[in-house]
Amino acid sequence: MRYKLKLDLDLDDTTEEVNTDRREFLRGAAAIGGLTIAPGVMLYQTAAAKPAGQAVSNQQRWGMLINTNVCQEDCDACVTACNEEHGLWDLGRPKTDAQWIRKLNVKDITTGHVTSLPMMCQHCEHPPCVDVCPTGASFKREDGIVLVNAHTCIGCRYCMLACPYKARSFIHEPLEDQLPHAPRGKGCVESCTLCVHKVDRGDNNTACAEACAKDGHQALLFGNLHDPNSEISKQLEKHGGVQIRADLNLNTGVRYQGL
Amino acid sequence: MKGLLEKYHKLLSLLLALSCTAALAASAGSPEVDIPPPKQNYSEETLCVEPVEIMRKQHFEFVLSHRDKTVIEGIRTKKHSLNECIDCHITANAQGEYSRYSDDTHFCASCHQFVAVNIDCFQCHADRPEEAIRKAKNSNKTVDHSEQTLKDYLELSNIDSH
Repeated sequence: MRYKLKLDLDLDDTTEEVNTDRREFLRGAAAIGGLTIAPGVMLYQTAAAKPAGQAVSNQQRWGMLINTNVCQEDCDACVTACNEEHGLWDLGRPKTDAQWIRKLNVKDITTGHVTSLPMMCQHCEHPPCVDVCPTGASFKREDGIVLVNAHTCIGCRYCMLACPYKARSFIHEPLEDQLPHAPRGKGCVESCTLCVHKVDRGDNNTACAEACAKDGHQALLFGNLHDPNSEISKQLEKHGGVQIRADLNLNTGVRYQGL
Repeated sequence: MKGLLEKYHKLLSLLLALSCTAALAASAGSPEVDIPPPKQNYSEETLCVEPVEIMRKQHFEFVLSHRDKTVIEGIRTKKHSLNECIDCHITANAQGEYSRYSDDTHFCASCHQFVAVNIDCFQCHADRPEEAIRKAKNSNKTVDHSEQTLKDYLELSNIDSH
């Protein structure tokens, strides 16, 4: 384990000062504890943030479980929270304004029952947007988060056509007041990042899920699908969760209950 | 060619003398704007994350290699992060106002203007710390951003709007 930690540090900028923050130290200590209890056997994975200098790994696969039974038809707290978190300022043009998460109300015409659900990037294991991207700008991170690398995106919008969930937006005009953790600019495609800046920080939650919980609905549950002891995995094991357009075999990271 | 050189010898030497004077004047001065100082020194030994002379010449190489590590691999070390540059270097002036990249008092812009460099970074990336942006968003709710942004963009990209 010490050797592993040494490697992790080596990956970091070597001249960077050692972080003596107490919280970070305790997190590190927790990770060591988890492993030394049973050497060779992964007893549990800590939810602690990875060290900043360590690359993300496929030990995690981040996902979301959405319970449409408790999602309220007239509530858009998740959308508002997302816009506020990422600085998706309203330009007053609803047809072209960026939309990383949106609310859908779906009516079953045979029963008249209306199901309300948030729709966003489903963070597929086999994302069609990545398949079609001509420059490799659309990519899937090791931990399953599907992102657009705006440095290589040429704005062709092929990914927007390929996405079965209509999850992506194109930026049509020059922007200003972008936030430091969510750079955005004209001529690039963008979509839900699963709050990647929060994930890397170790928040272990997304802005939309936090807002939903704050409003007392708790329809959104974020977590690690590869950890059998995470709340999301337990919920999925107990109650199940379906993929939208499961027929496409994309193995989405976002699952729904009550559909 | 030789004849041509002799013919214009006087003119050439005059030009050379003039350009030397200009170069001297330029090297003697630095951007004459009042830039708010950075938040803090990086450490007791160095002002910035690398020695200042290296930063002046190579800062873009550091952020360029760091950006791919961050975007693709999720490496979030602070040392060569653009956000950290902005956070430390862009501070409020005496009036509590933060410079924008379009201002000549912006730390990055002051030098880029001086050496005639055009960059695209701030078309997407924040040119001020987050608190400054949040503050501006809350106080400017009535501003029509569409026209303002277009104007800024044209200015930043040096596009003639006519």
